[in-house]
Amino acid sequence: MTELLQAVILGLLIGGVYALMASGLTLVFGVMNIINVAQGAFLIFVAMVTWWLWKHTGIDPILASVITTPMMFGLGWVLYRTVIVRIRGSSPSMSVLLTFGLALTIEGILNITAGNKFKSATPSYFEESFRVGDISLPKSQVYGFLAAMLVLAVLYVVLTRTWMGRAIRASSQNPSGAALVGVGATSTAALAFALGASTSGVGGSILSVLYPFFPASHYDWISRLLGIIVLGGMGSLPGALVGALVLGLAETLTATYGSLRWATLVFYVVILAVLLFRPQGLFGTRLREDVAV
Amino acid sequence: MLQLTGVVAGYGGGAVLQGVDLLCEDGTITCVVGPNGAGKSTVLRVVSGLLTPSEGTVMMGHIKLSGQSAAAILRAGVTQVPQSQALFPHMSVRENVLMGGFLIRRDKKLLMSRLEQVQQLVPLVADRGAQHGGNLSGGQRRMVEIARCLMLDPKVLLLDEPSLGLDPRSLTAVAELIHRLHDDGVTVLLVEQNVRLGLGLATHGVVMEGGKVRLTGSAIEVMNHPEIASLYLGGTNATTARAAQAAAEPTPNPAEATG
Repeated sequence: MTELLQAVILGLLIGGVYALMASGLTLVFGVMNIINVAQGAFLIFVAMVTWWLWKHTGIDPILASVITTPMMFGLGWVLYRTVIVRIRGSSPSMSVLLTFGLALTIEGILNITAGNKFKSATPSYFEESFRVGDISLPKSQVYGFLAAMLVLAVLYVVLTRTWMGRAIRASSQNPSGAALVGVGATSTAALAFALGASTSGVGGSILSVLYPFFPASHYDWISRLLGIIVLGGMGSLPGALVGALVLGLAETLTATYGSLRWATLVFYVVILAVLLFRPQGLFGTRLREDVAV
Repeated sequence: MLQLTGVVAGYGGGAVLQGVDLLCEDGTITCVVGPNGAGKSTVLRVVSGLLTPSEGTVMMGHIKLSGQSAAAILRAGVTQVPQSQALFPHMSVRENVLMGGFLIRRDKKLLMSRLEQVQQLVPLVADRGAQHGGNLSGGQRRMVEIARCLMLDPKVLLLDEPSLGLDPRSLTAVAELIHRLHDDGVTVLLVEQNVRLGLGLATHGVVMEGGKVRLTGSAIEVMNHPEIASLYLGGTNATTARAAQAAAEPTPNPAEATG
């Protein structure tokens, strides 16, 4: 029983971190129909910057997100204004091509500047745990989870309670309708892309502590994140949260009662099963399609 | 007063509007009719700033609208309900209408009082406030689209094919709303394929063909003009005029329906 409880709690902790990492991807897809395949590369880039900051200044890797988040917001904004804006209105497949190119470029730059070796930030609490009865909770996972939940809550409030968030959602759902009420399409899209990139600012910093990484690790991460948002419903933030928790649980439960090697397979089987019954994903909304107006 | 003078505009493949002159007096309902490709919707896009004219001017009183951004034209008091779906399908009806006040979002008191007024004018906004815009029927969507435009208390309301895809009952509700706005002093410029319906709603009529204004006058004058028949059915005699009338007959006249 303790083993099961431990596995479930750890699954939820890691799921929360996955949720944050996937939130940027689902937000950008929801707003602009852009599948940002470079989101995984953003994470690895941030992890690398975090590792460098930790190594050379001693700053706590998770706290380093105070620096990496605005950095990624700025980078996302510049990338949108200079590169992504050129495919505005194109099909999502075009965005896959463009952002894949972006991911390869980031990977190449990291290979040259940081080398093709595994890295991992190991702060003082790296091997410490909180003990709650018989359950042991690694401090790094608890801190990572708390940081992820805080950022997700802020993101949710920004999107649903602020005019910037409403403008972002309006643009995502009907760009010409948004223009008719005075929402600037380009500036809103740039903000949304920057917001999506900024989630990798926190996500990447957490990743640097929880997982070893090297420049090409982004392939593993983007496939996980895409799986999460497909399961949850493309463009849905609550969907990304639930999809991520399912992945986290699938991983820890499979690792506890079977082998970690099967964890990914179990997750994709879950996706397949869900999509058979809900092609729009767990939280994807289907609207009336019978109204022609 | 809304005035277009010598407006030339298009989408890159040649000018759709080829020197349009149009005058809408304050507080009137002007209906632009004409065959497909006449440039009716393009006139609205030019007025609302979604399309910039290459020549000519658009004035609202002493304010020059042409050349200004869509947001600036909105601020000046010109709002548009487009022909195709304009709502945010995954937002609630209330949020959709609130978005109509995006430009006055910093004045929360004004925003909420406008919402209150709009809810009184269009009760559907309160009744279905929590429902997703994308789950409304065609008629309900059109009502919410118009309601959203009212959040800025417009001086000029542009309506593109308000009857498109609506059943007679929805049509009557939309027509009633347009008449109420007219009574409140809003200047309405609407575009309609359904000649009888559009001119039945309007006080003034404009006939367009090939990107130019062919005919203007009171709605009744335009409705009874034989040229209407020639434009729609390719003839000028009384037979074609009667045929045109018969073709439009199945659609109820909301002006009559609303009394």
